[in-house]
Formats: sequence, structure tokens, C-alpha cells
Amino acid sequence: MKEYFAGVDIGSTMTKVVIINETILASVVGPTGPEHRKLANRVMEEALNKLSLPFSDITYIVATGYGRVNVPFADKQITEISCHARGVANLIPTARTVIDIGGQDCKGIKLSNGKAVDFAMNDKCAAGTGRFLEVIAEALGVELEEMAELSLKAKKAAEISNTCTVFAELEVVSKLAEGVPLEELVAGLHEAIATRIYGMVSRLKIEKDVVVTGGGAKNIGLVKAMEAKIGYPVLKPEDPLLTGALGAALLGKDMVKQAIEKGVPVARSERQLREATFFS
Amino acid sequence: MKNMTEQRTPRRKATESASKIPAMVKGTLADTHRAKEEGKPIAYSFICCGYDEIIRAMDIIPVWTENYAGVCAAKRDASRFLEKAEAGNFSRSLCTYATCGLGFDLFREELGEMPPNSPWGGQVKPDVMLGSGQMLCDPRYKWYQAAQQYMPDVPVFVNNAFWPPYESDIDYREVIDHYVKYMTEELRGLVNFLEKHTGQKMDWDRLCELVDLTDRTWTLIWDTYELRKAVPTPMDTGDAMNTMVPIAFMMATQQCYDFFKDLYDELQYRIDNKMGVVPEEKYRFMWGGGLPSWFALSDFNYFWSKGAVFPVETTYRIVETMAALDIPEVSDPLEHIAWRFITNFTRWYDQARKRPGSHPDVERLIQYIEDYKIDGIVMHEAFSCRSWHPGLIWQLNTLKKIYKPIPVLRLGQDGKTKEHYREIPSLVLESDIVDISSYSEADTHQRIDAFIATVDAVKNR
Repeated sequence: MKEYFAGVDIGSTMTKVVIINETILASVVGPTGPEHRKLANRVMEEALNKLSLPFSDITYIVATGYGRVNVPFADKQITEISCHARGVANLIPTARTVIDIGGQDCKGIKLSNGKAVDFAMNDKCAAGTGRFLEVIAEALGVELEEMAELSLKAKKAAEISNTCTVFAELEVVSKLAEGVPLEELVAGLHEAIATRIYGMVSRLKIEKDVVVTGGGAKNIGLVKAMEAKIGYPVLKPEDPLLTGALGAALLGKDMVKQAIEKGVPVARSERQLREATFFS
Repeated sequence: MKNMTEQRTPRRKATESASKIPAMVKGTLADTHRAKEEGKPIAYSFICCGYDEIIRAMDIIPVWTENYAGVCAAKRDASRFLEKAEAGNFSRSLCTYATCGLGFDLFREELGEMPPNSPWGGQVKPDVMLGSGQMLCDPRYKWYQAAQQYMPDVPVFVNNAFWPPYESDIDYREVIDHYVKYMTEELRGLVNFLEKHTGQKMDWDRLCELVDLTDRTWTLIWDTYELRKAVPTPMDTGDAMNTMVPIAFMMATQQCYDFFKDLYDELQYRIDNKMGVVPEEKYRFMWGGGLPSWFALSDFNYFWSKGAVFPVETTYRIVETMAALDIPEVSDPLEHIAWRFITNFTRWYDQARKRPGSHPDVERLIQYIEDYKIDGIVMHEAFSCRSWHPGLIWQLNTLKKIYKPIPVLRLGQDGKTKEHYREIPSLVLESDIVDISSYSEADTHQRIDAFIATVDAVKNR
């Protein structure tokens, strides 16, 4: 009988589910947003539906991410640092440094033998995260998805001195009024974010290969700006949003395997596929 | 701030002695109110300035202003005083002990009475204010001068207390005499100032007795804290953030000595009966520096819930065993105080000079890592404490460079495993000492979880 393992990564912006056995069988990404955050179970249901699998057929489920607490359908909670490390090491075994640019946080992870051995996280500030770009995109009246391509057209990057989201918003609007081309502003924003992230991750000693994950990795303009800061090309997984959920599924699989090898029972929760209560 | 007060979760403590501390602090504050009513002289005072025995010998009642700001923070009732200071044009980026205290003074002097519902009765108006110019902290020099705008009739004395800066190529003994002489004269100036402005006379015999009591108390505290090397540790930093009260605010009193005698006995009992801080001690961390978030001491309980304990800390471990200090026999009690104060800082200098690239503060970390079998270091970077916290990051970076005690196997680029030595994992928490608006419990717990996962990865190699 085939065994299935699932990883659920409930981030501040998106919820990601990956189901694996020997390989990735299904993955689903859905919004976490305020009205959706209780509905992480729906994302899990969608992944199960893709495989026509009943919930009870999943051997082990690990939850990770900011919203991992009180997920009623997970057997265990593991930090996203460990899960991202495991997921990236599986996809790109040469990775030594991971830079995860999420919706509302950003982190650097140092890997050794596929495990996280050091980390750095941004402080309680939106600068250096996807949220920063979202706010500015709205102020500039452009779609978030357009920003990457726009910035690549810039001849130079405008200087953005503020990385405080509120002040940066004012700064870009006033620069736009001064006639600074939109693409230069966007390139400047990417540079400002990259500078902030680079400063934070440099607390760790950045070593090759550097892998960028999270929603930020999908923004080619931001990735280019990061590469300019680091001084060499970075790698990114095929779907950079899924590394945390994949790592969670893999860690669950590892735990079950180890328990079987040791002849001890696997610690499971009385899981139920229902709404998450979140920090109740 | 009623709602924030209501949200406060009482923190569990490991030792009975630590549980007695809140009542002791409350009692000390009540003593200041009683002293005020009785017309005894009151002095605004700072900890770790070397003048404890002097004010005690002269029957001057200290009001520890840093302590009161900490009390407001722990009661989650500091915001109104911080806001008051901000309304008085003090920047939010100043030391929040200072802005809380200044805001309180402004509030009290405007009202002509204690602000309503002041935590534990409030901070009484002083007769004198005793600042301190030293390398430890810059607000100690300016805070009371700034407070004079609300209390222009209260005189300030700034007691300078410097020690030789560390130089890897200079033996501090070449210059220490000058520093001792300078500090001794500063202390003599303080005695003169207090006699002039309070009318109290120095009782020199009493001072000698208190100097001796303080010497014995320092050694007793050191011996007591050394018991925490035991595995499992009988007490951790969570409790030490309480037992710092007698060290910092009751030095040169019999009450302080007796407290540590009781704590020594309690820890010995706990060791004999294998009573740890947590049922299963999995990780031993060092609180490697930084003042704590007084409003979030329950984070230590969060560490406990993960099996993590702190057998040692550098914060508030501001005393040494007398045997470790190179103090000559002198007849002047003020000179003895100066020697003890200064050699407490130079105590790690020789050790640092033996290790290239090291520094006394880093040597202290290394010594504690080894003595207390430490798995990881946690520090707290309080945004408003400028004088200490930039140095913390520097200490961690220096430690990383010069000290890599953990052997691990690592996959090389050629695909072969090689032995590699890595540093002790570290976590830097970010918040403040008093300003709760800088704190996020979810974010802090997130970091703690991630840190424990990395320590696990290193330990299980």
C-alpha cells in the first residue's frame, strides 16, 4: 500500500499544501488573507481532490508557517525554518544559504548537511517583504505582477531612501509627480528591498549556492537586484512558493521512517479536517 | 493601560526565593514613601555606580529610578509615562528607563501629587539625584540633569566611575592606580556633596562595616550562582531576573546577604534532590547580554515549555568572588570600593590577552559556555538601549570568529564528508526594556521555535 505524506505551510499571505509519496503528487496554493485564514482546510481538501484521496489515507501531516499553531488536521507542527531548509535541500542539494521572501516576513537560513544551522529573520516591519511591494504597487497604480517586467526596462534605478513602507509610499508618489519614470521607480524599490534583505541575511555568512524562495523569488526584478547585491547568480526552485510545504511533508516522512526503524509508535494527533482556530 | 495590565500572564518561577522578590520590591518602595513622610533624605540613584555603601552608611534612602521604570514595564503600565515624556519633547529613541522616569517626574510635578494609580504607590520626589558618568551607560550622566527642569530645586551630583579600557597590548596594571585614585576622589566628593545637601554626616566606622558586608555578599552571590552549573540546573535566568533585585537595589544591607544565604541553601537542596527548572532539561542556553523585556518575562516560561533553561547570564551578574579580584590591602574604605569596582571590570583582561582577537566580554562568554555546558546563546537587543546593544552584536561576531567548539560533519563540494568546527548557535531577540509597542509575542515565539530547531540540528549531528 502506498503511503502519502502532506505538508501544510500557512503563511501570512498564502496557504500551501504539498502531498508526496516518492515524489510530489499534488500541490495547491490558496490565499490566507484575513477572511480566508480559517479556511486552510479547503486548500487541503483541494489537494486531496486532485488525487481523489480520502483524508484518512494520508499517513502523516506536518503543519508549518506563521499559522501552524492549532491546525486541527496536522499531526505535528514544525518551524518554517526547518521546513524550508529540508525542502530546499531536497530540491537543490548544493544549497548553503536560503533567502525566503514571504508576504509579511523575510528570513535567511544557513544550511549544513540539509539542515538549518543558523537563521536570521526581519524585524517587525514590512520593509523587505512582499507586503512592501503590494502597498507600493497600489500607490503607483500598477499590478503587482507587472512590477518585475517593468523594472527590467529601467535604464537606471531611482534612489529610494525610505524603506519604511509608509514613508516609501509617500516618497515614490512624490517622485512620480516630479516626473521620475515609473520603471526607474520600481527598479529603485527592488534595489531598496534587496539592500534591506541583504543586510539582514549578511548576519549569516552568505555562502554559495544561494537559493531564493517565497513569493519574492517570483519577481525577476527583485531577484536581479538580490544578485547584484550578493555578487553572483542565485538559484530558485521551479515553484519557490512550495519549499516550506514540501519540507514539511518530507520531515513528516522522515519521522515516520525513523519511528519504524526504531520500532516505536509514531506520535499522531487526533486530527480532523476542519477549520483552523488560530491562536485560540 | 488597564487592558494591557489585564492581559499580563503571571510568570512561573523555579525557586521559592525568587517568588519572594515582588513583595521585597513593593516593600522597598513602601519604605521610600515612609521615609519621605518621616523627612529622611531621599536620593534618586542608579545601580552599579559603586556608591551603595556610602548612601547606606549615611542613612540616605535610595530610590532606584531604573528599577521603578522596570516595575512600570512589568506591570504593563509604562505607556502613559512614555507618552508624557514624548509630549515633553523627549525622543522615543532615548533610553526608555529614562523616558519612563522623566515622564513620571513630569506627571507628578505637574499634578503636585502621585499620578493616579501609580504602580506600587509611585516614585517619591528626591532631595538629591546621584548620576554617574561611566562607560556603562550614557543616560546615567544626563537623565537627572534633564529631570532638573521639573525639579530645579533638587541638586545633582555626577559621580564619575571609569575603569581602564581594554588594550590587547597594554597591561592594565600600568594605569589602574590612576583610575582608582580618580574614582576614590570622586567618591569623597560625593560624601561631601551628600553631607552638604542632606545634612547627614558620614559614619566612617559604619561605612567600613558595610564595605566588609558587601565583600562577603559578593562572594556569597558568586558561590550561590555557581551552584547553577549543576545538571539539571536548579535555577535559571528567568528567576535571576528577579534575584537581581537584592544584588542591584539592596547591596550593602543584611537583607541582601540573608536573601542569598537562603537562596544558596535552597539551590543546594534542589541539587541534592535533582530538582531541575523543567522536568526534562534538553537545552542549556546562556542569556549572553541585554536587559530583558520586563513586560515579557513570561517568555522564559516559553523556553521552559521547550525544555530549554538558562543556567547562566551575563546581565546583572555584576559581582565577583573576592578571590578573583586583585585588590590590595588599603585602609581607606572609599579606596577599597574603587578597587573592587574597577577590578570587577579588569578581571577578564589577562585572559583576553592570551587569545588573539579576543576581548574581555567575549572571554567571559567563553568561560560561561564551558563552565555551564552551554548549547546556545540568547541575547536581547533593546532598541532604546544604545550603549549596550551595539556591543552585543559585536561580541557575538567576535565569538563566532575566535571560538568554534562544536565538531560537525559537513558535505564538501567534492561530495566527501569533512570534519568542520562550528560556532555556538545564537539568537538575538529584538524589542525593548520598557516600551511594549516594540514587542510581538507571536514573532518572539516564532524566533524561539526556529532557534531551538537550529540548536537541535547542531546537537543531533
